[in-house]
Amino acid sequence: MKSHLYPLLMGLAVFLAAGTVMATGPLGVHPVDLIAALAGRGSAEAELALALRAPRLVAAIMTGAALAGAGATFQILFRNPLVAPDLLGVSSGAGLGAAVALLAGAGIAAVQGAAFVGGALAAGLTLVCAALARTGDPRLSLVLTGLVTGALASAGLGLAAVLAEPYSQLPTLTYWLLGSFSRATLTEAVLACLPAAAGASVVLWLGFRLDALSLGDEQARSLGLPAGTLRLIAVAAATLMTSAAVAVSGVVGWIGLLAPHAARRLVGEQASRLVPLSMTIGAAFALIIDRLSTAFGPAELPVGLLAAAVGAPAFLVLFILTSRRSA
Amino acid sequence: MSRLVSRDLIAGRKGFALNPLDLDLPGGSVVALIGPNGVGKTTLLKTLAGLLPPLAGTIQAGSCAYLPPPGTVGAGFTALHLVALGRAGRRVWSTGLAKADIEDARSALDRLGIINLADRPFDRLSSGQQQLVLIARLFVQDAPVCLLDEPLALLDPAHAVAVENATRQLAAEGRVVIASTHDLDFAARVDSVLTLDRDGAITAQTGPLTPETLAALFGVPVSICACCGRPICGG
Repeated sequence: MKSHLYPLLMGLAVFLAAGTVMATGPLGVHPVDLIAALAGRGSAEAELALALRAPRLVAAIMTGAALAGAGATFQILFRNPLVAPDLLGVSSGAGLGAAVALLAGAGIAAVQGAAFVGGALAAGLTLVCAALARTGDPRLSLVLTGLVTGALASAGLGLAAVLAEPYSQLPTLTYWLLGSFSRATLTEAVLACLPAAAGASVVLWLGFRLDALSLGDEQARSLGLPAGTLRLIAVAAATLMTSAAVAVSGVVGWIGLLAPHAARRLVGEQASRLVPLSMTIGAAFALIIDRLSTAFGPAELPVGLLAAAVGAPAFLVLFILTSRRSA
Repeated sequence: MSRLVSRDLIAGRKGFALNPLDLDLPGGSVVALIGPNGVGKTTLLKTLAGLLPPLAGTIQAGSCAYLPPPGTVGAGFTALHLVALGRAGRRVWSTGLAKADIEDARSALDRLGIINLADRPFDRLSSGQQQLVLIARLFVQDAPVCLLDEPLALLDPAHAVAVENATRQLAAEGRVVIASTHDLDFAARVDSVLTLDRDGAITAQTGPLTPETLAALFGVPVSICACCGRPICGG
């Protein structure tokens, strides 16, 4: 298949999945009605369904694609299939930023901004510490300092939960930490797509350069690439994608780990194929999770819980299958 | 014709330095670098390749490609893509690799007789096959100076012969090729030899390697086989 057809087909797949989600479940509307509503000429039911569920769909697609794209990038970059956006402490850092803003009584826009700042600070702390500790393998020192940053941010999150006012703030904080696609308005979700799309464009552009970086900095430099600069660009782009997802949807795990693994089984390791397919699978997975979250009665289940409940066993199966094949 | 020139070059790392080195190697020949383990052969090659900063002195060369010993490069993608990455340095800020890069990668594999490996994942190849694929990448990268770190280590005789021939082809096109090695037969066959001894002294050998030189270099008695003329260490 021609390589430029991939993104088109994948976009189509996600669009169809989103349409299916809209057409089923509570407030399900006929696809024809839905298209009419998109054009501004639909029935009242279709308009209502669109208004209520479009923000969730946008949030789910963006979160799934961004986390999966960032996960695939980190996995290629560190040539380590067991890393995810949490690797650099970015998810926890963004979570801590948002928690602090919630405790301060900020509105949702400020919470999102704080999540960005927290994620970027965590990534910065990780990168600076790794640069200071650069003896031996730089990939290893980055993973280790990321672990430390993540642990610090998690401790901060625990403290935030203890300090939170138990009746007004704690439920909001807890709910946000468990992940949700229903917090953002359509405008907020669409706005958060901008940094995610910027990060994704950079990661997709990197393509073969990511493959060269996966050989290690020494090999990449020997091939004539500015390895340090490119690695920094890649980490920054993946961090931007992760922060955008956390800002909108809270802390949703497993997608960044699971989607690249599934994609790798289908198209192999080459970044120019692996990253776009990971993003597609991530978006589709998030849509399924979103559909499931409202499928069990009136109370909405937190998507972070569902992502773990579905994603963790799915990852285990994939991991065992992959290990057995390569053994 | 390429050329590798160094003036008063001191290669080393923290707490360890080799003697100053004046080199002037013309392209077109294979140079073997021999010496005991741990004297700094890899440090010297990486310094010449620009991967380690020299402690002093200068190096004049075009771009240098460095190949680590067999079995140390890992990649999950195909051999063909790995070979095409030889062009990465010329496409740093472009949108992607060009079609011509893929075609050149294919013909480099074909030329070394391993086109059948093109679509296999690199990690699934034997270390001998991997080494040939990496040498195919050197042709695609087309660096005027190729520095090979123990290119024959771990290889079976058939792959060792194939890699040695490929190394000669690299040189025959005018490149400077330096290969560190512990294979004294290989060192005896190539065009010239550099020795690196325990005191950090780098010497260009003139004439064939004598038992005395080898004995002093490695610290073991060396004799010459009466029937084939090969050096026998420890005998």
